[in-house]
Amino acid sequence: MASGLEAYINHTVSIITADGRNFIGTLKGFDQTINVILDESHERVFSTTSGIEQIVLGLHIIRGDNIAVIGLIDDQIDSRLDLGNIRGEPLGPVVH
Amino acid sequence: MLPLTLLKTAQSHPMLVELKNGETYNGHLVSCDSWMNINLRDVICTSKDGDRFWRMPECYVRGSTIKYLRIPDEVIDMVKDDAQAKTRNRSEINKARISGGLQNQNVRGQVRSRYKNGQQNGAKNVLRGQTSRPLSQIAVNKNRK
Repeated sequence: MASGLEAYINHTVSIITADGRNFIGTLKGFDQTINVILDESHERVFSTTSGIEQIVLGLHIIRGDNIAVIGLIDDQIDSRLDLGNIRGEPLGPVVH
Repeated sequence: MLPLTLLKTAQSHPMLVELKNGETYNGHLVSCDSWMNINLRDVICTSKDGDRFWRMPECYVRGSTIKYLRIPDEVIDMVKDDAQAKTRNRSEINKARISGGLQNQNVRGQVRSRYKNGQQNGAKNVLRGQTSRPLSQIAVNKNRK
């Protein structure tokens, strides 16, 4: 296996970008610079005053430069989350 | 599927491009290259705070300044069609190559035999003219006759 990402293809992933946003979607492909295709994606916006807001976005190409973390999501556990009642501080951007 | 393949497939489709500085560009993709540099037509640029807008007939965006591109959902299905068509073509080409290769071998065989004959003829000519033989040998032959 050339890259650990191969195992995530066609699975739900969470991508945290350098500007601190969190994208969830199906990983459809990637290349050597970790540019990524994310299908049926949505953004989760965290806030301390109300629950997590989900914004539907659709098909995305995210540039590798802008990606900090890619994590595999367990669909079963994720569907059990009550996002409306989860509060949290939004992430800040990556500090260099 | 490679991200740049998807981007290439999205040519002529509308898209949203967000740059690292937070500006967004909405327009139709004209062309792109392997560095993700892109050419957009009929563009609306939106400032980072989202309250200022600029219309421009076209623009060119350096790939390295892009944060992400948002593409119409249906484009991903078009890549599958493209890829399938390509693999179909490739297998056809390979088939053609295999059958063509056998023919080529035959042709090469013919050429080789023709070349052999040519060499033999040439050798005969040399013998006839006796130009490449040392003089002493020629003399010996003459004596034998």
